[in-house]
Amino acid sequence: MTTVSLRGVGKAYGDKGAATFAALRDVDLDIEAGDYLIITGRSGCGKTTLLNIAAGLAIPTSGTVKVDGVDLWGISDAERSNLRNRNMGFVFQFPSLMPGLTLEQNVTLPLEFSDAGPADGVERARELLELVGLGHRAGALPRELSAGQQQRVVVARALINQPTLLLADEPSSDLDEDTEAEIMAIFRRIHEERGLTIMMATHARNLIPFGTRHLEMADGTVSPESPSAAPTPAP
Amino acid sequence: MGGCALLVAAMVLTTVVISRGGQESLRLARERLGADVVVVPRGSVTGVEGALLLGNATNTYMPRGVVDEVRAVSGVAQASPQLYLTSMANSSCCSVSLMFMFAFDPVTDFTIAPWLAENLGRDLQIGQAVGGSDVFVPQGDEKIKLYGYEFDLVANLERTGTNLDQTLFMTYPTANAMQEISQTEAKMALPVLTDTVSSVLVKVDEGTDRSQVAAAIGEAVPEVDAVPSVQMFSSYGDQISGVLRTLIVIVVLTVILSLTLMGVIFWMSVNERSRQIGVLRALGATQRYVLLAYMTEAGLLALAGGLAGVVLATVVVYFFHDLLVSALGFTILLPSALSLVLLVVVGLLVALAVAAAAAFVPALRASRQEPAVAMRE
Repeated sequence: MTTVSLRGVGKAYGDKGAATFAALRDVDLDIEAGDYLIITGRSGCGKTTLLNIAAGLAIPTSGTVKVDGVDLWGISDAERSNLRNRNMGFVFQFPSLMPGLTLEQNVTLPLEFSDAGPADGVERARELLELVGLGHRAGALPRELSAGQQQRVVVARALINQPTLLLADEPSSDLDEDTEAEIMAIFRRIHEERGLTIMMATHARNLIPFGTRHLEMADGTVSPESPSAAPTPAP
Repeated sequence: MGGCALLVAAMVLTTVVISRGGQESLRLARERLGADVVVVPRGSVTGVEGALLLGNATNTYMPRGVVDEVRAVSGVAQASPQLYLTSMANSSCCSVSLMFMFAFDPVTDFTIAPWLAENLGRDLQIGQAVGGSDVFVPQGDEKIKLYGYEFDLVANLERTGTNLDQTLFMTYPTANAMQEISQTEAKMALPVLTDTVSSVLVKVDEGTDRSQVAAAIGEAVPEVDAVPSVQMFSSYGDQISGVLRTLIVIVVLTVILSLTLMGVIFWMSVNERSRQIGVLRALGATQRYVLLAYMTEAGLLALAGGLAGVVLATVVVYFFHDLLVSALGFTILLPSALSLVLLVVVGLLVALAVAAAAAFVPALRASRQEPAVAMRE
């Protein structure tokens, strides 16, 4: 089953009439349920834009984007937000925890925007914090944690709504090697145990073996897929 | 942002209290006079107005014979004399300080006597007086002692916010008795004023034009000025209007300035948190949620600032009332508790409206921004 489907997707930045910059050019891409797709490429090649387009966080200039069969730009903002909330989890490159909230509150934050409500997720938030090895710090504030620990909390937050798709944009770019290994181990574990579809953008080619598929991007286009993207020979 | 809301709420509340309080004070003072036309010695209208409103010392007297001359004018139904006795601000003659005294003729009076009949069921006897709302018997005494003469305070009138609130109303016979006693008992004796009057209050025949009667009195009795009561205190009315115009300009400028400043501050604050908005949108927050969250934030800040503003304004108008009256040159009747609550609500609503107007455009822009762009900024 196809989780994400992009057809003829383009994205250009810049005002009408002024010079525009094409971040994505006529991209066709299908991501099947259970795929662990690693997208690599140099800075500015369009990796982040591709993830944002797939998540409905950026409006494509051309083409169609479907997630779980739903055309993201054929529905209302409320429906699109609800779809993101229910079906997707996000791990960003930058620190994205809310500084005034405790770890537990940060993890349950997505439930604020769902029908469930944060009270229903406290138990699950604790389980997820245990999963990322921070169960004992549930009441701490983000500033009390290292960058790596914060990123682990972000992963827990991304999983609170039991999404089918996890989008990670350079999740380990600011981390040291050991912490990067910890984060990648968590990703592999949730991919294997939960069958989650993962799209991860990274400039680090050493992470390619973690995925089940690999795409190389350059100048807003996706290179023909290498059939050698072998299933997870994890280092 | 809260500071701007404070300024707006404080300015709105102060302006309304001063303008409404000033107008209300004049209206009650005119009502208290209870006459259609007020006759005073020529050239002394301003002095009498100042004495009645602000308690300024005045020595305006005319012969008692003027009363009969006024009464003889066509259109005059009733005419009754009043005598203003020495204001005792800063004097050491008496058991109460800063008091004005009105003597009226119980036989011809048509302003105080009906009130007495209705509220007391009887006339004032010699040695009895009615006080304005602020007149009281000093603690430990049973009577008010003035110029060696002791008065029974039998009733208090409704508050006007003017000097009439510090005035003691008595009959001519009582004033005469006090004058006699003062010759021997007081440190400072009262002058003999038995055959003089300070003003003549006139009631016109029903259906007669007050201005015409006032003009006729002015022609018939050359040594007086006759003023229709609706025109009494008109110079103070003009003064209130002038101050009100200035205050309105200040309020409008404050609102414009606050609107601009709040808009800029909110714009900057929203921009600073652009990445957070992008993250919230990614987690499932709708455009409506972001808009409402920012509008709620602006509302709460405005409410906090506005509350501080109305408290500040209330403290200023109540605790510095005398200073305000002296600076502005007209009296201000302070609002009742219920009116004050309503004015506080109005002040808060204006502050909320200004904050909402200032925050709306930045909040709307933030809510409609593409989440990916918001996260990049």
